[in-house]
Amino acid sequence: MSVLREMLENFLSRPITILYPKEKIPIPDAFRGRVAITDDKCIGCSKCSLVCPAQVITMIDGPREVEFKGKTLARKKRPQVKLYKCIRCALCERHCPTGAIYLKNELSSSGTDGEVVIT
Amino acid sequence: MPEVVVSIGPQHPALKEPVNFKVIADGEKIVRLELDLSYNHRGIEKAAEQRNFIRVLPLLERVCGICSHSHATVFSKGIEEIMGLSIPPRAQYIRTIIAELERMHSHLLWLGVAAHVIGFNTLFMWTWRDREAVQDTLEEMSGNRVHYGMNEIGGVRRDLTPAQVEAALARLPVLEERIKKYVEMVNSEETMLIRFRDVGKMSREEALKYGAVGPTARASGVDYDVRRDDPYLAYAEVPWNVITDTHGDVYGRTRVRVGELWESTQIVRYCLENLPAGPIRVDAPKTAPKGEILSRYEAPRGELAHFIRTNGTDKVERVDIRTPTLANWTSVAVCLVNQNIADIPVIVAAIDPCLSCTSRLTVVNRVDKVGR
Repeated sequence: MSVLREMLENFLSRPITILYPKEKIPIPDAFRGRVAITDDKCIGCSKCSLVCPAQVITMIDGPREVEFKGKTLARKKRPQVKLYKCIRCALCERHCPTGAIYLKNELSSSGTDGEVVIT
Repeated sequence: MPEVVVSIGPQHPALKEPVNFKVIADGEKIVRLELDLSYNHRGIEKAAEQRNFIRVLPLLERVCGICSHSHATVFSKGIEEIMGLSIPPRAQYIRTIIAELERMHSHLLWLGVAAHVIGFNTLFMWTWRDREAVQDTLEEMSGNRVHYGMNEIGGVRRDLTPAQVEAALARLPVLEERIKKYVEMVNSEETMLIRFRDVGKMSREEALKYGAVGPTARASGVDYDVRRDDPYLAYAEVPWNVITDTHGDVYGRTRVRVGELWESTQIVRYCLENLPAGPIRVDAPKTAPKGEILSRYEAPRGELAHFIRTNGTDKVERVDIRTPTLANWTSVAVCLVNQNIADIPVIVAAIDPCLSCTSRLTVVNRVDKVGR
């Protein structure tokens, strides 16, 4: 009988599904989405590249001067991320000393092209 | 009547993952089962030997999509013990919260799958709807619904904010109400009782003899749970009960899992309400001293063990993963004897099998040191 009562309750209540893409569920602040890089914060330390378990971060040439802890550093390298090979573990974000590389709380589209990069 | 071999899999529309069953039947009755595993070997253990302790955790999480936190925690726990690290209480509590939420979502998923295989799809829809609340909580806390990435050697990666704790506590009363309804439904709903009672029976002696673990063993009266018998994380401080049953059939396994769902909500509630203040991690050294450890953990499906050997570098020399499904397969072969062919799906589903997780490779080197 508990099943019949439950079915009746469900029949009288609103559906819990939403009309995607017209409606969207709220994405939590902590959501690990698409990777992003703030170039003017990056000091080129390569930590993100060293900890990446999927090995999708490579350091490419990117010389520029960056402010870090009151000093001006002459950066040589900057990271480049293969977007569709990223597993979104956020280890790069965890180990970045300046917060230059981070994961946005927005969904990244999926793709098969391993050469699409974010710099 | 002559015996007939019914071969199912490895590629079969009814199977979610590749496995090969050879069911030897006499008419409708099963005489014995021959099982062929490891169609999905991924070489994770070998890959783990190539990565340092930071990079290996996301790999080990991917052993299983359901108990990803279990694998990361049992490995971290083992390495921390080799390193002699003491983890802050707040980190222990956060790990416990995620572990119990993971158990809740795994058991709700299982209840849905069990209902689905007996053709009770209404319950399947309901449990999977309620599982969303657990998944949403996990997503808010960790940033992902499957691979939580909460662990690191020395503690946890993310802290819980007061808003996240409040949101989780707000969801619990609804879940508790729903779980009470499932307990009532499991014990009174004829559809389930007819298909679950006296199906796939296993005695306590058989469960011990064939090394069954987790809810499968506890449903046969084996009073064993790693969380109580070898306490880790915050389980020694939290009031909770080990759920056992004496039915020994699929009905008993369902009762144990639904009972554990309730216990998990109480553990999560206690941990959220009594979350200690303080740091969430300690600085871990990059390398681990030479050592060997067998780290154990009560995953949703049963006892999970990682054998870890370190050699003084920043990588493991060997990690051997024994998943609970691997321990439970033998008991399935026992449970199936004298059962109807039509009951195969529900008896197999009753151990909550995770086939890709069981795909481990053991190489036995028969040549000794002198080359004989």
